[in-house]
Amino acid sequence: MLAATNLRKTYRRNADQVKVLQGLSLDVHAGEFLSVVGASGSGKSTLLHLLGTLDVPDEGTIALNGRRIDNVSSRERDELRNTVFGYIFQFYHLLPEFNTLDNVLMPAYISNSLFKWFATRKEWRKRAEAMLERVGLSHRLTHRPRELSGGEMQRAAVARALLCRPQILMADEPTGNLDAEIGADIVRLLRELNRDDGITIVMVTHNLDIAATTDRVLRMTHGKLNTDAPAAFTRPKLAAV
Amino acid sequence: MYKFLLCFKYLRTRYLAFVCIVSVMLGVATLIVVNSVMSGFSHKLQNRLHGILSDVMIETDRADGLPEPPDAIVARVMASPVGKYVEATSPTVEVMALLQFQVRNRHTGERIPITKHVRMIGVEPARHAKVGKFLEYLQRQKDGGVASFALTPDARGRFDFNRNFGDWEPRDANAATKLLDMPTVRIPQVPPMDAPPGMFLPALPVPDRVSAPPPLVPAAGPPRVPGLFIGHAIAHHTWKDPETGVSETINLLREGDEVFLATVGATGMKPVASTFAVADYFRSEMSEYDNTFVYVALDELQSMRGMGGRVNTVQIKLIPSAAADHELVHKTIIPELQKMFGREVGTNVVSWQQHQGALLEAIDIERGILNLLLFMIVGVSGFSILAIFTMIVSEKYRDIGVLKSLGASSRGVMSIFVSYGLMLGVVGCGLGTLLGLGITVYINEIEGFLTLVTKQQIFDRGVYYFDKIPTNIETMTVVLVNVGALSTSVLFSVLPAFRAARLHPVNALRFE
Repeated sequence: MLAATNLRKTYRRNADQVKVLQGLSLDVHAGEFLSVVGASGSGKSTLLHLLGTLDVPDEGTIALNGRRIDNVSSRERDELRNTVFGYIFQFYHLLPEFNTLDNVLMPAYISNSLFKWFATRKEWRKRAEAMLERVGLSHRLTHRPRELSGGEMQRAAVARALLCRPQILMADEPTGNLDAEIGADIVRLLRELNRDDGITIVMVTHNLDIAATTDRVLRMTHGKLNTDAPAAFTRPKLAAV
Repeated sequence: MYKFLLCFKYLRTRYLAFVCIVSVMLGVATLIVVNSVMSGFSHKLQNRLHGILSDVMIETDRADGLPEPPDAIVARVMASPVGKYVEATSPTVEVMALLQFQVRNRHTGERIPITKHVRMIGVEPARHAKVGKFLEYLQRQKDGGVASFALTPDARGRFDFNRNFGDWEPRDANAATKLLDMPTVRIPQVPPMDAPPGMFLPALPVPDRVSAPPPLVPAAGPPRVPGLFIGHAIAHHTWKDPETGVSETINLLREGDEVFLATVGATGMKPVASTFAVADYFRSEMSEYDNTFVYVALDELQSMRGMGGRVNTVQIKLIPSAAADHELVHKTIIPELQKMFGREVGTNVVSWQQHQGALLEAIDIERGILNLLLFMIVGVSGFSILAIFTMIVSEKYRDIGVLKSLGASSRGVMSIFVSYGLMLGVVGCGLGTLLGLGITVYINEIEGFLTLVTKQQIFDRGVYYFDKIPTNIETMTVVLVNVGALSTSVLFSVLPAFRAARLHPVNALRFE
C-alpha cells in the first residue's frame, strides 16, 4: 500500500549535518498495524513524517498504491494529509481555543469552503459525534482540551484523525505521555479500529510492550531498519489485545 | 472555513488583539474628528470669505478707477456670452484709509484719539446686498431687508446732541478742509492703452486742490450726515481679565457717533478727508474684516476722492448653477472677461477663490500636513499589529503545525493572519468611525463639559467669533480614513502571516 524505497534525509544546521535516514526501505501493507521502535534520535519520527507527507526526503521515493507521493505539489500533499493520512501525536496537539467537537471537526473545517461547509455541516457534525462516541467521549463534546484528562485528549485526537476516514493512521508515540494503563487503553482503541474498520496504522513508539501488541514490529537504529530484530517483535501476540 | 473560524476565535480570545483594535479605533476617530472640525472651520471660513466678495470681480489697481463707467462695464458684460450667467452686479470703490475718532476715558474724562488704518469701501448698499451677504452682516439692518446709510432717529438724535453739547473736535466743519490745504503731489499719468475711442471716460484732470466735501454745517437747514457702516471690532474693545478669564466688551462708537476718514484722492497724491456718522455695525465674524472694513455710500467716496462716476471694482454675482461650477467659472467666464477687460494696465478679473487664494491654499496645506501627521497614529497602530501578530504567531507556533498536519495549506495559514489583521482593522475602523462621528456631532457638548470640569475655556469663541465649534462631516474623508486604516492593518499583518505560512510543520510538532 505504502512503499518507501531508499529514503535518505539529512538535517543541516550551519556546518553540522545529521544524517537521520540513511537509505531506508519499507513496505506498509494494507490493513496492517505496524509499529516502528527505536531509541531516541534513531529517525523513527522522521520516517513517519516522510511517509505521511509532512516532510520530503532528500533522496528515495515514497509511493501510495503505486503512485509516487514524495514529489507531488504542496497542494496535493496538503490534500493527502487531509484525506488519506490521519495523524495522532504524543502531545495530542488539540487546539486550546476550541471544544472537543470543534477540534474533531477541524479536518472538515480545513477541507470545506465556507459555503460548502454550511451545506454539509449537519452531516459532518453527525460524523464527528459518532466518532467521539466511538472513542468514548460523547459526554465531553463541549469541553475544552484543558478540561480533559491526557487519555481523553488522546482519544479526541484519534477521533480528529479519523474524521475524514483516512486510509492510513500515523501515530507518533501515542502513549508516550500517558501512564501505562491509559496507554494500553489507547492502543486497544487503535487495535479495534484496525480490526473493525480495516484502517492501516503505522505507529512509532519506544515502548516495546506496546509495540509487541501490533502485527509487525520494525526496529530502527541510526537511520536504518534493523533486520536482526528479535522474533518476538515480528510475531504479534494478538491474544494480548 | 477554518480561516474564518480561527479569525473569529483569535479575535474573541486574544486580549492582545484589543490593543490593536483600540489603536486603530483611536487613529480613525482622531482623523475623523480633526478632519471634520478642520473642514467645518474651512467651510465656515470660505462662507465668510465668499460672503464679503461676489463670485467674480473686475478690479483695477489704478487710483482713478476702471477707465469705463460702471454702467458701461455692466452693459458690456451683459451683452457678452457671460451675460447669461450674471445674476447681479455691484460697482464699488475700495481704498485704504485712516480712521480717527475720539473716546472719553470713563474715569478721568480725558479725550483719547483712536486712529486705525481701514479699508474704506464705497457701495450702493441696496445693490451691493444683492451680490453677497453684505446685508446679513449689518447688525441692525439685517432683518429689515434693505440696507441704507440713513441714520435712525435715535442715532440722529445722538449725532445732534454730540454736535450741540459735546466737545468732539471734528464738529469743526473746517477740520477736514484744513487737511486739504496740503500741496498736491503730481504723479505721472499712464495713457490708456489702444482702446476704441469713446469707450473710456476722459482722463481726470489733476486738480491743485481736491474739492472738499460739502460742509457739514450748511448755511441753512439741518446738517447733512453721511452714514457709515463700521466694522464691529473697530467700534468695540474687548478686554479679557487674565485672572478670571472673563471677557468684557466696551462699546467705543455708538450709532450716530462721528468718525473722521482720510484717504488719497483719485489723481495725484492728494489727501482727502471727510466725516461720517456711524449708521450700523458690520459684523462678518471674520476678525480681519471686522477690524478693518468701513462702508460708505459710493457717491460719497467718489465725490470725496474726485473720481467722477468711476469705480475701481465691479463685483458680479453669478446664477447659482454657474457659481457652483468651478470649471465654468475658471475656464470660461473669467477668461472671457479677461479678454474684454484684462488688457487695461492694472485691471484684472478674478474669482473670489483667486482673490483669497493664499488663505484658502494655506488652509488646504495645513489640513494636508495635519492629516499626514495624524496618519502616523494609524501607522503606530500598524506597528502594534505587527508586534502583536508576531507574538501571536510565536505563541501559535504549534497550532499552525497541527493545522498543517491536518491538511491546511501555507496560503490558508497566511490568509488566517491576513484576515485576522483585516478583521481587527474592520472592527477598529467601525468603532473608530462611530466614536469619531459621535465626538464630532457632540463636540460642543463635550467641550462644554471639559470646560466645566477643567474650568478652562478650551475653545475661545472670541478668537473666531464662532458661537460653537463648526464641524462638517465629509463622507469621502470618512471613507478614505477607513480605507487607509484598513490597508495599514492588512499591510502590517502580512509579514507575521508570511512567517506563519513558511513555518515547517515538523519543526512545530517536534516538541511540546
